[in-house]
Amino acid sequence: MVLRLTVRAIGWIIIFLWIITLTLPVSVVFSLMRLAEGNNLGFQEPTFTFSNGNVSISMAIYVNNTGFYDISEANVMIRLSKADKTIATMSESLPNIPAGQRVDANLSFNASLNEVFQKDHTLLIDDADLDGCAVLHFRVAYAIAFNIVNNFSTHWGAPFHNLTCKPLGYNDSAHTFSFFVSFNNHAFFPISGSLTVELYNSENAKIGETLLDLDVPSGEVFEKTVDVVVVDPSPITDKVFIRLSFAKLNILETEWNLP
Amino acid sequence: MSELEPKPDRRKFGFRVVRAFLITAAYAVFWLIIWSLTSMLLARFPQYQTFFSVLAGGLLFFAFAIALAEGTIYKYILKIIRAFFLMAYLTYATNGGVLTISFENLALTVEFVPLLALMIVINLLEVARVLLQAIEFAAQSPKD
Repeated sequence: MVLRLTVRAIGWIIIFLWIITLTLPVSVVFSLMRLAEGNNLGFQEPTFTFSNGNVSISMAIYVNNTGFYDISEANVMIRLSKADKTIATMSESLPNIPAGQRVDANLSFNASLNEVFQKDHTLLIDDADLDGCAVLHFRVAYAIAFNIVNNFSTHWGAPFHNLTCKPLGYNDSAHTFSFFVSFNNHAFFPISGSLTVELYNSENAKIGETLLDLDVPSGEVFEKTVDVVVVDPSPITDKVFIRLSFAKLNILETEWNLP
Repeated sequence: MSELEPKPDRRKFGFRVVRAFLITAAYAVFWLIIWSLTSMLLARFPQYQTFFSVLAGGLLFFAFAIALAEGTIYKYILKIIRAFFLMAYLTYATNGGVLTISFENLALTVEFVPLLALMIVINLLEVARVLLQAIEFAAQSPKD
């Protein structure tokens, strides 16, 4: 009798669990369909800002959860890579969105350009086609998780595109090296900061240095004649190396053979 | 009893086979309805057709075998094998509860590990239930 009752009780538990197992995915799909219809999801145009060597992408979004279940673990991740090498990863989490409630949030992605250029130095001077990957992750009813991955291509405009440093001449009475520096800012952000111009002799000893203050808006061309005064001319050799660096990143090295 | 008349055991077996066929046919209709309801939505999942046909085929085989073994201890053994088949096949075919479908530049991954765990728990409960039923059956069966 006890055995038969136990068997029956387990049978009811099994039926109950099967009902949950089979109805949950169906109701989750219906819940997502209700969420997707109408204007329950929306976002504003993203805004790009550049300050202190960091690029920030901000986007206001809203989600009106008209579904039956809470949405948790919502997260957006953007990864940029060049030739299978990851150069930047940005991610932002969203708060939990309870069923029947509307949540307004601001997605803000930040990336340090210094880190990006340290990973791929050529991005400073060469335009490139980057591979992008945007991942949206969320969990419905704390049980079923969804990952939506979108692969895309994006064009990278180099901030120091076509950087050239042309020697103009050496004034041996004033011990001054003159050269012409030019580049085109193809980046979507303005360049502001100091461009360091250093001169080295053939024994790799620094013989002179100057700083150029840059404030080049996006899409503009920079052209300037630079003079570097050498205080002590004795270490000057026939061959001089010019090094240009920005934010501690070496961006160009060229040599100059003195007549 | 004439020699032309079938023996009662053979007739009983014939009835059992017919009954098993009818039960299997009823299950087949059920699986056909499930297929027509789910194929529209889930057809984009890779190998969904294979997954469904193996699952439905396996369960139809067990439905036939269990109906045929009605009244014997083999019915319980087959039910236990069916539960383990379901656990193993669901885990294998759903890639441990993580399925991915790809469109052109878009990939959708659905992760339902908690749901798969629940299905395994259900099948383990089914094993326990069948074991109890088998004990009850063995206790009631007349000894040789």
